[in-house]
Amino acid sequence: MPGSALERLSVLIVEDNQHMRSLLRSLLNSIGIREIHEAGHGSAALAVLHDKKCDLVLSDLAMKPIDGIDFTREIRQSPKSANPFLPVIMITGHTEKHRVEAARDAGVTEFLAKPITAQSLYARIAQIVENPRAFVRCTSYFGPDRRRKAQEDYAGPWRRHDDVKDVHVR
Amino acid sequence: MTDVRIIAPDAYPQPVSRSEAARISRALKSPDALAQGARVIRQAGPILRMGVEDYVRELEQAAGDPASVFDKAHEIRGFAETAGLRATGRIADGLCRYIEEASKRGVAADPAVMALHVSAIVRATNAKDEAGRMSDVVAGELAALAAHKLAETAP
Repeated sequence: MPGSALERLSVLIVEDNQHMRSLLRSLLNSIGIREIHEAGHGSAALAVLHDKKCDLVLSDLAMKPIDGIDFTREIRQSPKSANPFLPVIMITGHTEKHRVEAARDAGVTEFLAKPITAQSLYARIAQIVENPRAFVRCTSYFGPDRRRKAQEDYAGPWRRHDDVKDVHVR
Repeated sequence: MTDVRIIAPDAYPQPVSRSEAARISRALKSPDALAQGARVIRQAGPILRMGVEDYVRELEQAAGDPASVFDKAHEIRGFAETAGLRATGRIADGLCRYIEEASKRGVAADPAVMALHVSAIVRATNAKDEAGRMSDVVAGELAALAAHKLAETAP
């Protein structure tokens, strides 16, 4: 897609598997993204973010020594973070609910389940650029709004001061 | 009630403008982009397959240590299917689920069940087409065995 704004995007791939990193790079190249940085784990990725401006992160969940959850938490909460609003797509083979919930609560923007397909990856990127999420800041959380849609039949507790207003606005 | 501040998308920097975002989104959903992406994955198949084979060798060496077996099987299930090794991915996924469930129940994963999965993963990875299709049957039988073993541990 020459001439597209995609050419101006800078993407960081954080993945401990070299083959998967290479595949993701090729998939991003094929849609015209040229500026791609790579890191093999979360701490190396934080160093990249310190030096380079990135517009989007694709991160694996299971990595050592810093996994995708702690890495995302650093982006969102560290005073040293260059961009706490940075979109993070978490690539995961973990189907266990508690791992996905932990990643969501760390501030992940979108999830991409393995095995990945071009369609699923491109759909997440499209979602991030076309429908950016509102962010929420409260004492226990900072990150993308975890309430993706209004549930008319929601029966749980209302936790926010502006919940009533939210319901009317959404 | 928690004091919550909502920060609208317009209130923080976006990587592209709204009009560019709409164009990008259309481009990413276009048949051309999807076909090109699918081609990239197909072309990467042989390289990915070599990666899976590396992990399978490491999985064989890890036999007996549930944590290591899980780590390797987890990597295999992550991209075996992308490498065109669907049965390998399915069996590795079954092995991961079995070890996770055993751990959740506080029981040790049965070494024989793990060994059977590892052996089936090796065979499925090395199988030619016909044998690969048979591996789907093996994956189903192993899943039934794992479920049976877990049922034995039920209180």
